[in-house]
Amino acid sequence: MSGFDPSLLLTVDWPEIGTATLDTLTMLGVSLLFTIVFGLPLGVLLYISAPGQLRARPRLYAVMSFLVNVLRSLPFVILLIVLIPLTLLLVGTSIGVAGAIVPLVVGAIPFFGRLVENVLREVDRGVIEASQSMGAKLPQIVFKVLLPEAMPGLIGAATVTAVALVGYTAMSGVIGGGGLGDLAIRYGYQRFQTEVMIVTVALLLVLVQALQTAGDALVRRCRFG
Amino acid sequence: MIEVRNLSKHFSHEGRSIAALDDVSLQVAAGEIYGIIGRSGAGKSTLIRCLNLLERPDSGTVTLGEQELTALPEAELQLRRQRIGMVFQHFNLLRSRTVAGNVRFPLELAATLSPAQMDARVDELLQLVGLADHKDKRPSQLSGGQKQRVGIARALANHPDLLLCDEATSALDPETTDSILALLADINRQLNLTIVLITHDMRVIRQLCDHVSVMDHGKVVEKGSVLDVFLQPQHAVTRSLLAETGFGQGERVDAWRARIGVPLLKLTFVGEPTLSPVLDKVGRETGLRVNLLSGTLSEIRDTPCGQLLVGVVASDVELPALPEIFAREGVRCEVLA
Repeated sequence: MSGFDPSLLLTVDWPEIGTATLDTLTMLGVSLLFTIVFGLPLGVLLYISAPGQLRARPRLYAVMSFLVNVLRSLPFVILLIVLIPLTLLLVGTSIGVAGAIVPLVVGAIPFFGRLVENVLREVDRGVIEASQSMGAKLPQIVFKVLLPEAMPGLIGAATVTAVALVGYTAMSGVIGGGGLGDLAIRYGYQRFQTEVMIVTVALLLVLVQALQTAGDALVRRCRFG
Repeated sequence: MIEVRNLSKHFSHEGRSIAALDDVSLQVAAGEIYGIIGRSGAGKSTLIRCLNLLERPDSGTVTLGEQELTALPEAELQLRRQRIGMVFQHFNLLRSRTVAGNVRFPLELAATLSPAQMDARVDELLQLVGLADHKDKRPSQLSGGQKQRVGIARALANHPDLLLCDEATSALDPETTDSILALLADINRQLNLTIVLITHDMRVIRQLCDHVSVMDHGKVVEKGSVLDVFLQPQHAVTRSLLAETGFGQGERVDAWRARIGVPLLKLTFVGEPTLSPVLDKVGRETGLRVNLLSGTLSEIRDTPCGQLLVGVVASDVELPALPEIFAREGVRCEVLA
């Protein structure tokens, strides 16, 4: 491969890059939102039902844990294809940005749920016990103790999940999902347009950096004292 | 107030069953401070956690007032727990809340007050424990003693009729320990609040408690008023726990006797005689001359008391007559010939 000529950047189809950026941000935003909405309760459920925990249900836990592991062990590309019928059912299309969101969410929920479970396990047992000694009911323990006490860790988990989702969106090109990753693969890789590759990778880098920085700042803000 | 009957609890550890509590019974009267002491692993922690059923006993009952806690369904137990305060060795404060937020927490759980009433109650409690100026700080900005004051304020929020202290001063330095013990004594007096505490430190028992149970290997091996237990310890475990306080030096008697070769007297002072020149007075009357071997003069709660071990160098009266002579002065005398 010869050296890269910076003047090629002028030939980049910037409007298409713009659309792709917007697509990536849409996929990321919407799927992150749904991942948190479904993944957080999953994580809480995993935590409280685990053996020895607040509402230990060892069999339920074993089943949930197994399903989470199954979904996490499937390569995302496979998940994209396997889920086409479900996607059709839920959003009416299996392609484009809308079609990508369902597999993104399904792929990220178990990932985020497991992270949440681990974060909650770090909450001081003594504090939970203290709230039990004061007569706290389970929902009060979850909403007034577990989640607030684990907040820095939960934001950290959401940040990690957001970054992982950026990676997943790149693969959604397989089903015509669009976005920056898709562009990088189609133009940069398949058509040897290195300049497109460089621009998209740079944008993805900026996006991941921005997510991590924002996440870290949030964690710092709500770290306690 | 509290009646604990035949409480047993086993834990299995690596396939073996270990008795954390072995048929423990005790009674705590309303308004008193009751201490449970033992070395680590004696089962005292399990016992105090059984009092509010954080730990479920395998068998036995816990009755609080008229209510048998061990028979209550979960929801009623949760309601009852709102009025059983608990203070912990490691404070167990919510890091995510300020000092005021932590004290407010049990009020929010009970949800019987309006937000304004809660704020007023929080101010009142912080005043009581002397932390009014630290209201908006986070627990991480407080010293150990201040954290425990927050813990105490929190435990008192819902007007409990019982306060459980789980090694409340064990993580604190001696000075801070004294200030927390003083606060607990104050609260006990002001609110006429029954307090049950566990500790491994006899000083805590001596400064604070009315009655005490001594635990060893899951059993209560000795119990009684603190004065009796300090001055007349019956069990070897009690004596060894007392060793560092200067009381109950029973096992040293034989060693002293062998070394000195004279009869020994054990003199026990409680109350007024502790502060009077009893030994001098008896000495003038009976020609008793003694060799002071060991002893301690101290206070148990607010009662001055002490115990001296002396060797009899000379005496004009027969040794068996001495106990009665000392008894006239209000001092208990045992001849260890």
